[in-house]
Amino acid sequence: MSSSEHIHHPSPAQYWKIAVVLAVLTAVEVAIYYIHRDFDLGNFNTVLLIGLAALKFVIVIGWYMHLRFENRMLSRFFTAGFILACALYTIILTALGAIALTR
Amino acid sequence: MTELIHEADLDHAHPEHEGTGVEDRKLGMWLFLSSEFLFFGALISNYLLYSQRPGFPQPYPAEIYDIPFTSVSSFVLLMSSLTMVLAHNAQTREDANGARTWLFATAALGSVFLAGQVFEFTEFIVEFDMKLSTNPAASAFYLLTGFHGTHVAIGVIMLLSLWGISRRRGGLSDRHGLNLELVGLYWHFVDIIWIVIFTVVYLLSEPPL
Repeated sequence: MSSSEHIHHPSPAQYWKIAVVLAVLTAVEVAIYYIHRDFDLGNFNTVLLIGLAALKFVIVIGWYMHLRFENRMLSRFFTAGFILACALYTIILTALGAIALTR
Repeated sequence: MTELIHEADLDHAHPEHEGTGVEDRKLGMWLFLSSEFLFFGALISNYLLYSQRPGFPQPYPAEIYDIPFTSVSSFVLLMSSLTMVLAHNAQTREDANGARTWLFATAALGSVFLAGQVFEFTEFIVEFDMKLSTNPAASAFYLLTGFHGTHVAIGVIMLLSLWGISRRRGGLSDRHGLNLELVGLYWHFVDIIWIVIFTVVYLLSEPPL
């Protein structure tokens, strides 16, 4: 028995409910894409789509990967990798974007 | 005799690291997945840098995306995460038939996603003449989605291997149960990377003005 089996995980019925939520969020994302094409939501479109993707991301990691039920050390390692990647590429993209603007 | 006892100990060993309380292989998988953020981050950044750079032959990927088709592909991959977690759940409940069925369903959904990607690439190349070398945006697009597809293909192979083991007499043992959990973690990771790619590359990307 692995250590994770000692922890209470969601039931199959809860997993199905989570899948429905994820499917609805995806449908909303696609709907926003088409609304933006017709009515130009501006930067609000980016905020909405990134927000929905982040929500789906957190749901899959937290419930399907069981990170919210796991040893905290695993969360720290995983979050550290994610934050490092985000920070690194935000800096790189900003720097390269700035170089392109001054040319 | 000592060897027999040693083997028996190994069979029932809890390979948890004393200091961390987490199985070593599981910790290794989480660290590997954490490092994969850097890998995919580089490829996504590469696409973002080149997707709007003007002055190259058309078409740019953002001009020819088939959003309804990719939305269905995304839905299929998302649902494969559900079948994967149901396989793991069945395994922890010692429901061998359930685990076997859901494992196969996950591999099947992964294969459907891959078939969709092959169809998309073929359509882009044959119908729209957007090849790997057409422009930097196309190169970055094929590199990113191709590497993601490779990860999915590796996942499908691992799932089918586990499914094959589960069909043998004795099915999935405790040791294979951990394997299923590790393959599951890998599979969900591939799914969350697609969540980012679908939003950033397909829904938010625009061709150069």
